[in-house]
Amino acid sequence: MNQIGDWLAERIPVSGVQLHELTNEPVPRHLKRWWFCLGGTPAYLFVVQIFTGILLAFYYQPAPETAYESVRYITEQAAFGWFLRGLHKWGATLMIAAVILHQMRVYFTAAYRRPRELNWVIGMCLLLATLLTGFTGYSLVFEQLSYWGATVAANISDAVPLVGNTAKQLLLAGDAYNARTLSRFYVLHAAVLPATIILLVGVHIALIRLHGVSELPEADADDEQPRHFNFFPDHLLTELSIGLVLMILLSALATILPATMGPRADALTTPEVIKPEWFFYVSFRWLKLFSLTFAVLSTGFILAAMFLWPWIDWALRRLTGWEDISVYIGIVATFLLVGLTVWEAIVAH
Amino acid sequence: MSDNRTETGPAEEGATARRGFLQHAATGVMAGGLVAGYGMLAAQAARFLFPTGSRDTAWQFVCTPSELQVGQSLGYVAPSGAKVVVARQGAGEEAGDFIALSSVCPHLGCQVHWEAQNDRFFCPCHNGAFDAAGNPTEGPPATANQPLTRFPLKIENGLLYIEVPLHSVTSQAENRA
Repeated sequence: MNQIGDWLAERIPVSGVQLHELTNEPVPRHLKRWWFCLGGTPAYLFVVQIFTGILLAFYYQPAPETAYESVRYITEQAAFGWFLRGLHKWGATLMIAAVILHQMRVYFTAAYRRPRELNWVIGMCLLLATLLTGFTGYSLVFEQLSYWGATVAANISDAVPLVGNTAKQLLLAGDAYNARTLSRFYVLHAAVLPATIILLVGVHIALIRLHGVSELPEADADDEQPRHFNFFPDHLLTELSIGLVLMILLSALATILPATMGPRADALTTPEVIKPEWFFYVSFRWLKLFSLTFAVLSTGFILAAMFLWPWIDWALRRLTGWEDISVYIGIVATFLLVGLTVWEAIVAH
Repeated sequence: MSDNRTETGPAEEGATARRGFLQHAATGVMAGGLVAGYGMLAAQAARFLFPTGSRDTAWQFVCTPSELQVGQSLGYVAPSGAKVVVARQGAGEEAGDFIALSSVCPHLGCQVHWEAQNDRFFCPCHNGAFDAAGNPTEGPPATANQPLTRFPLKIENGLLYIEVPLHSVTSQAENRA
């Protein structure tokens, strides 16, 4: 045993003490509360998605003639296929929810302020990459929602001034959904976007380590207690506990509410009631409320404002002298977001 | 080599300047080559991803103009399976006297369907509605004043032709499956 240890130590010259030093950053004590640990949640779920996604890729066939049938095979015939597909579907749902909750936590605790502005921008890129992965994911099933969702999304991008038509052509591999479209969604979903997410998460975590986790002013602070605790093993154990709870939750959801299949895609009939996945309810309702040009331009404007929020917040605070102005804007935005989502969820049209 | 020199004459200074210039020039050429080479590859990759090929449509015969009276319409099924209503609006013999309404919503490309009880075409995606002539009456198409798109028509040698898609990705898939 010792010989194997020596052999390994010679080839991997890192000692346990050095590893401990490398990983052991001080963690502010507010991270003892689980709701401040939501940043690790999407990362954990992303690993679940990679694992289940690779398994699903063994059977999935990305062509219009075969896609729907291969998903049906996974769901109805392959051993544990229904469960793995359920985990993948619910993993996506929870991952998007966790990214949104994490971003809201960062926003409402103003953790994006100097010097962490760039990490907020990277976080925004991660939000978009996650939403795009979700979108390309449900496009792969080739059910009615997949087809019409892709058609609507491509035509939305067509409405973007200057670059829109090029983006649409690149997304669909043509003017409209065609035989070469589905393989694009597959490559984006299973290669391009996950690789992008991995790169972005790497930079995101590196910047967190370089800056340290932002401190939170605590009203009920007990100054007898130390202000920081160790990442290893304390925080790692918190993350592992969250991971365990998530796995139980995912398994329960995948079993109780398994992933189903809608009717097969039909380019000649749009179903009477059609809705995207829940995370696009907001934009779907927005598109019903306003003309296409206004809806697209306003969405672009809101996204740009979100990307630039650390600097907009700085400017607003300077102009108004009101330190918490972003919190109140955030509350209004959250009500709008939840309100539009619920509105879309409860009506047929 | 040059570290050992204690004094430099004009010849050495010239050589140093020349060496410096050559170093910069070589770096420039190298950088230029790399940028050009990889840039070319990136351009090829971008071009590769951009689809080529013409749109999958063709002119198809519909009827002779005399088969349709003013105010009459007929149902035409395109090779893709798309159902098209072709109607005659004028007494002339021009293509402009006929219309062929597409069932593709001009808003975001979903399929509209006829609602007999409401006397309108309805798009279930974003609640767009159109009257029988394809004019927008409700929803985002009405806000943006987008009528239902029309298929191009032409009259050639006294015959009415329509330009329609030849394939639909889902009907193709069904045929092969």
